Amino acid sequence: MSVTDTPPLHSGPEADPPASDGAASGQRVPRNRSRLRGLAERHALLVLLVAVVAFFALYPPSADVFFTSQNLSVLLGNQSTVALLALASILPLICGYFDFSLGAIAATSSVITAGLMSFNDLPLGLAILVGVGLGVLIGFVNGLLVTRFGLNSFVTTLGMATLLAGLIQWYTGGQTILAGLDPRLGQFGSETLFGLPQVVYIVAVAALILWYLLAQTPFGRGLYAIGANPRSAALVGIRVRRATWTTFVLAGGVAGVVGVMALARTGSATADSGNALLFPALAAAFLGATAVRPGFFNVVGTIIGVLFVSVSVSGLTLSGASSWASPVFNGAALLVAVGLSHYLGQSRAARAG
Amino acid sequence: MGDTASDRPGDDEVVLRVQGMTKRFGATLALDGAGLALRHGTVHALVGGNGCGKSTAIKVLAGVHRADAGRIEVAGRSWDVSDYDPRAGRAAGLRFVHQDLGLFPQLSVAENFAFDAGFPTGPARNVRWRALHRRVAELLEAYEIPVDPRTPVGALRPAQRTLVAICRALQDQEGDQRLILVLDEPTATLPQHESDVLLEAVRRRADKGQTVMMVSHRMPEVLSVCDDFTVFRDGRTVAAIVGTRPTERELVGHMTGAALARDIDEHTVAGALDEPVPQVADEVPTPTAGGTPGADVVLSVQGLHGGPLRGVDLEVRRGEIVGVAGLVGSGRSSLLRAAFGEHSPAAGRVVVRDAGGREHDAGDMTARMAAGVALVPEDRVGEAAFADLTVRDNIAVTVRRKYWRPWGMDIRRERADAAALVSRHGVRTSSPEAPFTSLSGGNQQKAVLARWLQRDPALLLLDEPTQGVDVMSRADIYATVREAAAGGCAVVVASSDLLELCTLCDRVIVLQDGRVTAQVTGAQLTPDHLTALTQTTAEPPPIGAPR
Repeated sequence: MSVTDTPPLHSGPEADPPASDGAASGQRVPRNRSRLRGLAERHALLVLLVAVVAFFALYPPSADVFFTSQNLSVLLGNQSTVALLALASILPLICGYFDFSLGAIAATSSVITAGLMSFNDLPLGLAILVGVGLGVLIGFVNGLLVTRFGLNSFVTTLGMATLLAGLIQWYTGGQTILAGLDPRLGQFGSETLFGLPQVVYIVAVAALILWYLLAQTPFGRGLYAIGANPRSAALVGIRVRRATWTTFVLAGGVAGVVGVMALARTGSATADSGNALLFPALAAAFLGATAVRPGFFNVVGTIIGVLFVSVSVSGLTLSGASSWASPVFNGAALLVAVGLSHYLGQSRAARAG
Repeated sequence: MGDTASDRPGDDEVVLRVQGMTKRFGATLALDGAGLALRHGTVHALVGGNGCGKSTAIKVLAGVHRADAGRIEVAGRSWDVSDYDPRAGRAAGLRFVHQDLGLFPQLSVAENFAFDAGFPTGPARNVRWRALHRRVAELLEAYEIPVDPRTPVGALRPAQRTLVAICRALQDQEGDQRLILVLDEPTATLPQHESDVLLEAVRRRADKGQTVMMVSHRMPEVLSVCDDFTVFRDGRTVAAIVGTRPTERELVGHMTGAALARDIDEHTVAGALDEPVPQVADEVPTPTAGGTPGADVVLSVQGLHGGPLRGVDLEVRRGEIVGVAGLVGSGRSSLLRAAFGEHSPAAGRVVVRDAGGREHDAGDMTARMAAGVALVPEDRVGEAAFADLTVRDNIAVTVRRKYWRPWGMDIRRERADAAALVSRHGVRTSSPEAPFTSLSGGNQQKAVLARWLQRDPALLLLDEPTQGVDVMSRADIYATVREAAAGGCAVVVASSDLLELCTLCDRVIVLQDGRVTAQVTGAQLTPDHLTALTQTTAEPPPIGAPR
């Protein structure tokens, strides 16, 4: 059906003024103002990021080191795991579900990949495949419990995280796995390409794929619809359960890749809860939901969120701040961002109403 | 005044008397000097069609609305309505159990009692659980409710839940049965056997001296349990029947006006009594605007069972607008949802013929959509809206695939289409990019319709399409639906607004207890006639008897 050339059904001018009339005549000024405000809201985080970069590039204590390619390389390389995990976390978040097990999945994938090479002499490729595959499998189980059996995602994935942390503790016997790893993995983790660590390109490719999937496909649009109202989504023919389940599986797989990347960066694997990765990742995801498409988790916003936090922390460290600066800044930024976006969301609703 | 009307309540003591009650809402006169008198120790039925004012009367008694004029007299004390408030009614002994019982399903029966009357506490403000359980157990026993006070209310059978609510409302009653219990449609959502249990229990209370006033749409029920009857019509008391039991025909005659009584006689009661097949003797097929006899059957429902449905047959043709009337719980919504494939039926078939003429026998919602079925659900906020998304998102959500290109979504085309649909359907919004919540109820509903009509559905299912919609939007929505039907779409409208069904539909079927009991077309299609059909049963209440 071609919508554009069909005449209006209701043609009475007073009964049905075309929507554009009112906007054009009476509402021009407020509409422009609200558009400006929307624009400011969308790009606030990016502007802040640029401001922070400019500040530390000019601020004397950090200026000489901050803009060196070495510093940028270290910064981006170290943040690549957090960035990728943040991207994984927004998949279920878009549908309205938390996945707290993603950090533990990354840790599990890391430990298993290392263990298979170290204890079982498996070749690198196979070990990576098993590590990532395990992430997919755990995501599948999470999805099963949450969508099929209707369990609360918060509790389910928290339980899964605790369970995994315990299991890998048992698997490693509390030891760090150092020996017997394929050296190619460590090389990949430390080498740079065009001045940037190679892992950064993995994050870039993953971000591109996820951006396409979430913003540029009917599937992704469906996920946002599910997040907005799952009942309505089901009644417009979206297969809600299957789509939600898919996000858990994808998130698990991406978290598996994060584990392998972490192994490549550090060259060793230790059994831990993975929370050191997960919490900054979730913080970045929520920061990202205040930008680009305010009110919704999105890929570009998430990347900006990660960069904003890491650049600021790096700058603070270079300026002589202690190690506690990082979590303090991280937490404060999250609180301010979430508070601000709540306030802006309210005023947005008020403007609309 | 009806033939058996009597303003004199007899020798029995009148414990509640309402006189000359008038209430105006804007331009509508909901109550127009209505009155009623309740005798002690009786079960009193307050009946009438939709919009007759009985709910307003109950709300005035409960103190929710303040009437404009009239007097209320409870147990010898008298108020002018301007002085009457909820506290006065409660102090005088009126107790209400509304259709929504106001129970907490997760909490125990005893806790539910305590939230009403307060927890018995010990010296340290601690709850004396044992005392509470003992008192509630005694009350439950007195009311013959075989339930442990520790049971969560959610685990009870529906009739027991209502009884618990009744018992809770009357818990501060001493032995002298001074309180007056008002039940607002207590059986509306109960299945037959549950409502039998409930009504028997209410009858037993009344035999012990409890005064009860009951609002109900189900005539056989009120006839089986009530002593006195007050009938409202257009905000006036048109009949007060005391001490005798009228026939169903008489009662419905009062409700719809005497002129129609003969009509119902011929077309409904007699017809439905004689014919085992649920088709009424009303056989003149009226060729109307779109419905050409012999045109393709788009929806064919055969022997459909599932949920409240107990064997529904229905055929809807291209271009036809068919209405579904029936009380709450009759299966209106279930029929539509079954046709949309939300649940697979327990028995029977739902066949849909798509635009290409192919028949689809089964399938989930996604498959039904592909076959050209569209559903506008009753609960707009809960089941149709994506509140936080834009108007464009809300419209495009049914055709997401249409805009996909290998390099991404064609947002420009999506915007253009959404803008065109918004102006075509008269949706008043500042821009298609505005959040959906910024629209008024009527405009949201128009956008939801636009969402479906852009798919050129073969079958459009509308559940309460104008609920909470302003008058102007309502006219737009009717025009849109008619336009779709004229274009060959088959439309099924379920509605509790009988005027809407008469305005919009070529043909209306009446559902009762999950079965089609009547079909109305042409000149018979009037709200009064439909009121009579939805509220009558042509047979004595069948208790579990298969028909």
